[in-house]
Amino acid sequence: MDFMTAIDVGASALKAERTHLNVISMNLANAKTTRTVDGGPYRRKEVIFKETEVQSPFSKAMNSALDQEVKGVRVESVQNDRRPLKQVYEPGHPDADEEGYVSYPDINVVEEMTNMLQAMRAYEANVSTITTSKSMYSKALEIGR
Amino acid sequence: MQSLFPDHIDLTAKVMDFQLQRQNIVSANLANINTPGYKARTLEFEKDLQAALGLSEAGAVARTHPGHFPLAFSADQTDASVARSLTPRVVQGVDNVDLDAEMAAMAKNNLLYNTLATVMQKNFSGMKQLIADGGK
Repeated sequence: MDFMTAIDVGASALKAERTHLNVISMNLANAKTTRTVDGGPYRRKEVIFKETEVQSPFSKAMNSALDQEVKGVRVESVQNDRRPLKQVYEPGHPDADEEGYVSYPDINVVEEMTNMLQAMRAYEANVSTITTSKSMYSKALEIGR
Repeated sequence: MQSLFPDHIDLTAKVMDFQLQRQNIVSANLANINTPGYKARTLEFEKDLQAALGLSEAGAVARTHPGHFPLAFSADQTDASVARSLTPRVVQGVDNVDLDAEMAAMAKNNLLYNTLATVMQKNFSGMKQLIADGGK
């Protein structure tokens, strides 16, 4: 139980939310991408968060059961979304199939924007936990003055 | 026995410890705000602490006979417990931590912590003044 745990936990969340924002901007940037390295159109990406330990296994074993409840977060993986591609009739497009349809990734700008706001709010919440921990720390240092 | 430090110093220190722990739990909850299936934790210590102090909602326990055990508070023997919500709250797949409740808990906790730190600081500064001026 120390101040650094709260800051480590907050930092793990800041890192995860930043990755989330990166993935959201990647989705928005590639909303109309029809060619990728793997071939085929771009697929929408989704981040998978997982709760994780912030302490090393040794220090964890030395801690009380209470302290072991404190978990951070990390991005476990970035996965392809499984929703089907969007077919748009554009016969003049170089990537159109024989019937004139182009496959675009099904990216909804509004959905991405709400995800972005959510990630931003989560980021702000974690910044505020770190700020609060810091103010508690400096207040505790004042006791001996 | 009369000691140099007031009795409540231990108690104040213990409560500050618990509040630090609560801050850790709140930051763990907020860190996992987007984690699907995460179960939010809460830290409970007020009731256990009141029991340890011999206080309850009905009032203080009176010591009516000198042969009774003294109702001494021991900071070492009081502990907090972590409650984990039984089921993750799932709204639209990824919403299991109540952001507003956590922020409110954090703000309250921070204010109480700062208050106790000030109480402690005033205790020591009063003592310091007594030592400095008492012999004059």
